[in-house]
Amino acid sequence: MKPSLAPLLPKEDAREAALFFVVCALCFLAALSGLVARSAYSAADEWTNRVTGQITIRVRGDDAATARAVALVKAAPDIISVRALERAESEELLRPWLGPTGVPADLPLPHLIAAESAPTSAEAGERLSAILKAANIDATVDDHIVWSKDVKRATDSAGLVALIAVGLLGATGLAVIAFATHATLLARRDIVELLHLTGAKDSFISSLFEQRFLMLGVQAGALGALLAFGAAAFILFVVKQADQQIWLLPQLSLSLADGLILGVSPLVAGIASMLAAKVTVMRSLSDMV
Amino acid sequence: MRERDLTSDEPVIRLDRVGLSYGPEADVLADVSLQLRPGSMTFLTGPSGAGKSTLLKLAYLALRPTAGRVSMFGVDTSRLSRKDLAPLRRRIGVIFQEFRLLEHLSAYENVALPLRVLGQHEKTYRDDVIELLKWVGLGDRLSARPATLSGGEKQRVAIARAVVVKPDLIIADEPTGNVDEEMGDRLYRLFRELNKRLNTTLLIATHDLALVRKANTDVLRLADGMVVRVPASRAPQAEAST
Repeated sequence: MKPSLAPLLPKEDAREAALFFVVCALCFLAALSGLVARSAYSAADEWTNRVTGQITIRVRGDDAATARAVALVKAAPDIISVRALERAESEELLRPWLGPTGVPADLPLPHLIAAESAPTSAEAGERLSAILKAANIDATVDDHIVWSKDVKRATDSAGLVALIAVGLLGATGLAVIAFATHATLLARRDIVELLHLTGAKDSFISSLFEQRFLMLGVQAGALGALLAFGAAAFILFVVKQADQQIWLLPQLSLSLADGLILGVSPLVAGIASMLAAKVTVMRSLSDMV
Repeated sequence: MRERDLTSDEPVIRLDRVGLSYGPEADVLADVSLQLRPGSMTFLTGPSGAGKSTLLKLAYLALRPTAGRVSMFGVDTSRLSRKDLAPLRRRIGVIFQEFRLLEHLSAYENVALPLRVLGQHEKTYRDDVIELLKWVGLGDRLSARPATLSGGEKQRVAIARAVVVKPDLIIADEPTGNVDEEMGDRLYRLFRELNKRLNTTLLIATHDLALVRKANTDVLRLADGMVVRVPASRAPQAEAST
């Protein structure tokens, strides 16, 4: 006969199955929140990059006034490019509001000038406005700063909320694991006491629980991350099927960064579970002689 | 099993005016002083509720006294931290009254438990554990779980677990309390063999008068929170009168 050794802590029971489910669900929510946070921040960056330096000038006047305005803007410092929009381009901009029938031919359209300034030139809009006013040209300069700031603030807030959700879910997970470890410790007090009286060091006893909860955290975290991946993929699929993109909302992309979030989640869940178990066990053992 | 040299005449256990109470209630132990020499075999007797198990718990370092001093192997345990008590516990084998076998482990694994605690690899002790189980008459029950063992078999697994690391001191709490007379005889012979062959110090708490009579050794009698040493010649009579 060749006896083999069973683990000193009995294999998992129904209580640990319930804990597995809870950690899995928390990890799913945390991973999904992490993906939302990342996409919110990247959406904010994308928006900022998209509109930074873009200036739109609306001229109230005739073609000559528009041509004068183009010349003045071109001569202004930090301006990279400038051009007057054709009527067709203006109509295209209005199409979402006026529908496929287009703009009536007799409807007067404002003269629009699109300019691009150097990204570092934060004051370009105000400067152009002053130049045009000095030249007696009735024009409105919109450098998008006001509303782009609002959009960035909104997307940043969404990202922050998602990060707070990740933090809360993580803290909840730690509390649940600490509670479960304590319950397991009480249920296995006979084993803990026997090991203690046999001369086992606290670290030896703690390591039994640490290993158990590390594995539980990694496995539950991996399943939670996998489910989060599935949920994100489903959302992507639905959005693509609808063939539309809502630019103001964070976009899930399943990029490399998303993969990193999903990949790291099980490790974080495992290590957090292990540390929660260690703290709980060491604290309980300190009550023994 | 190999013989062990006795290198010191220091008492294995020394209790100096030890008292123990739980909260404001009356003292469980009032003023206990005793010492056990290496290689001795001592019985602890006394009426139920006298505090025998409590005294044993002090000896196997599961409790600290509320008064007095407990020295183990020449070391004053009151000066030791929790961490420093673990090495002392490894020199003590305990046979609990209720056995305390782990139900999910086999007889072999239960006996091997103290060796796992010491961090030894199974291949280094496998043969020794099997030999030990054969010695206690359980060579054919290696894989049996405690639930399938009789009271006597459990007792022998508990004894094998207590002696597997060849401890300097074995403490047994009512070791014959759950077995019939024949098994009691076998257990006594096991204890005697441990005591003679390995020079292991034994402290045995018991109500079993027959066991005390067979041993023909001094008895520590615990009553009213105090211990009195009764010479071997008078021990059975003293016990019979309680």
